[in-house]
Amino acid sequence: MNVEISEVTRRFGRTEAVTGVTLTTGAGVFGLLGPNGAGKTTLLRMIATVIPPSSGRLRLLGRDPGEYGPRREIRRRLGYLPQNLGYYPGFTVAEFVEYFALLKEMPPGRVPHAVAAAIERVDLGSKARVKMRTLSGGMLRRAGIAQAIVNEPELLLLDEPTAGLDPEQRVTFRALLRDLGQRATVIVSTHLVEDVGAACGEVALMDAGKIVFQGAPAELTARGEGTGAAGDAPLERGYSAVLVAARSATAAAR
Amino acid sequence: MTAATAATARHRTPGAVREVPLSAARLLRVELRRNTMPWVLPLIAALFWFDSYRPSTSAEAIYPLRTFWNMGQGHTIIDFGPFVAGVAAWMGSREGRRGLADLVAVTARPRWVAQFATWAATAIWAVAAYLLFVTVMFAIYARQGVGGTPPWWWGAVGATAVIAFTSAGFAVGVYWRSRFAAPLAAFGGFLAMAMSSQTGFTHYSGWTMVLPTNSNSNFDGNGLADFGIFYRWQPDVPIARIMFLAGIAVAALALTGLPARAGGRWLRRAAVVTTLAGLALAATGVSLASTARPTAHGMIIPALHDAANDAPIPYSPVCGHAAAIQVCLNPAYRHWLPATASALGAILPEVTGLPGAPARAIQVPAAYGNASQAITLRGRPAVLRLSLGQLNLPGPCGFCAGPVRSGLFARELRLLFAHAFVGAGNQPGSQLQQAVQAVLLRGAGIPFAAQPELMASTENFPVPGPASGGKNGPATAPGTATGPVYAAAGRFAALPAAQRHAWLVAHLAALRAGQLTLEDLP
Repeated sequence: MNVEISEVTRRFGRTEAVTGVTLTTGAGVFGLLGPNGAGKTTLLRMIATVIPPSSGRLRLLGRDPGEYGPRREIRRRLGYLPQNLGYYPGFTVAEFVEYFALLKEMPPGRVPHAVAAAIERVDLGSKARVKMRTLSGGMLRRAGIAQAIVNEPELLLLDEPTAGLDPEQRVTFRALLRDLGQRATVIVSTHLVEDVGAACGEVALMDAGKIVFQGAPAELTARGEGTGAAGDAPLERGYSAVLVAARSATAAAR
Repeated sequence: MTAATAATARHRTPGAVREVPLSAARLLRVELRRNTMPWVLPLIAALFWFDSYRPSTSAEAIYPLRTFWNMGQGHTIIDFGPFVAGVAAWMGSREGRRGLADLVAVTARPRWVAQFATWAATAIWAVAAYLLFVTVMFAIYARQGVGGTPPWWWGAVGATAVIAFTSAGFAVGVYWRSRFAAPLAAFGGFLAMAMSSQTGFTHYSGWTMVLPTNSNSNFDGNGLADFGIFYRWQPDVPIARIMFLAGIAVAALALTGLPARAGGRWLRRAAVVTTLAGLALAATGVSLASTARPTAHGMIIPALHDAANDAPIPYSPVCGHAAAIQVCLNPAYRHWLPATASALGAILPEVTGLPGAPARAIQVPAAYGNASQAITLRGRPAVLRLSLGQLNLPGPCGFCAGPVRSGLFARELRLLFAHAFVGAGNQPGSQLQQAVQAVLLRGAGIPFAAQPELMASTENFPVPGPASGGKNGPATAPGTATGPVYAAAGRFAALPAAQRHAWLVAHLAALRAGQLTLEDLP
């Protein structure tokens, strides 16, 4: 298993953003669903080694990220696209991706080819020499994805990767996700259920810092049968049904 | 894991270790290309031109005076420092301002490495620009025929100061990741420079010698030395200042490695050690500078001083003639040879044939910190020794009210010659010596009425009576050509030249010894 999370909790002051999450996953595309404030981004930042858990155990790619040496090894094999992607406006797309390739300690001889390949994979080849400040929101997102995949990561973490992409780009991106998921663990945090249905082999649904569902997208769809309005997508009905059930259970427990 | 990912498994191997410099070079290349510093350089260049270069052109065309303003008082550093600190803070805060902190934090390289590359690119731009500007300025000086050798040591101090400002500003940006870090760092740099400059007016020794804008070391406060002309620029104080500034640069840069987010435990330990080492280096520089003391060859620091630097710079003099005697100057003063020979040519006939009249004239270096007796007569046969470095030479004059006119220079030179000839030394001289001096000057074309004003305005001249001039002009209004001295002088001047000559032949030794009074004058 590339990701092994056991009873992980993360607190910010008195606020508990993630509560006792346990999760394991191997190669493939894993979807992390949930409403705003569910704790998806916090969980992803812990897996990305940005922040340590307050309690619980985390093993990534068979290593303990709490130790400096193993953490560095994990980071060499990691790709990460944060929810709010920052960028240096004066850098070109190629320089931006090259910059992160070098920081990821890629062998310098491989960097130019890897940069070009990553930019091509997100369909930004014609914009490689364009300054980041001139890109549209969707193009910036794709540049962010390019930097995340430039080192061909074994663990790829994408926080809202399709935000700002037009429908055609989203379809292309889902194909890219499926391709990447064949040899790496890809965790996609999103609130767009159609992305999950199209690309993910497994999905977890978070609410109030906890995982309230984990299984295949088809299982999530099945949970929603017989609920919701006629126009809703099946996966969305399942999403809503699980959340309603989880919240009812929580309220009853109180 | 597939074959594809196995190929990219980034385990550290000896080969990977060898690739680190190449990676660092590529990282640096990206940072150099996208650094903010080049955008600010045109502004610094304009400031450098108007503040460092242009004012210097109003000084005499010898390096100690041309560079007194921009290197001695550190205006080249003042022009760079605040801007460089501000830009460095802007670059240091970039990651936080641009929301890239998370993304950089999860890369394999310690975050400090990325920061170091950013700092290095900023520093390279700043230092390269500083060295370029200074080199261009010296090249222009060379084209203008400025005499002597450039103060390269002070250029090294300036370059190190630029690095220190870059490091300090960058540290401000790293710790305070806000858009306001840049103006704060720039203002801090300006404040540091302003306070450092003020010490030049009040502190002439002690720890303040380490401050890069304190001009009271090697650059004489009144610009009267011959550094780089007769003897070398003493490197002692510059070395201490370089130690001080390098220590600050190292400590500030190492401070950015202290936070937990900077890297692993080893890096933070190294940062602590390096910070302490930088502070120790800076403290050593301060300690050394506080032991600096003036000597005839400049400000030296005993612990750093190399006696070889006291050796004079060999040179082939340039010579001309004044009233049949040879006048030889250092080639750095070549420009003023005609004016000097002409000035002396008007007064030397007054003493020709007298015992002790000079057989030749040579230039001697101005002793550091000893601004007295610009002209002396020594030896047998007597040699006229001209210390032109102590005089305001004809032409542009940096700290004078305006350019020095050739006529004024000629009159001052004649006055100093006459004063030396009568043996008055550092004193106003006896009344008889003053009277004979007045007659010699009158013979050289300076009437009695003009002499009090000339004496009052001549730098370092010990003015007798109520008109007591100082280094920077008369302290009180010049007197008038009246009284017993001028009465006796008038009487003596009225005698035929042959009779005056005969009296001087007979009484010159006693006159110089101060053994005669006005009554002895015919």
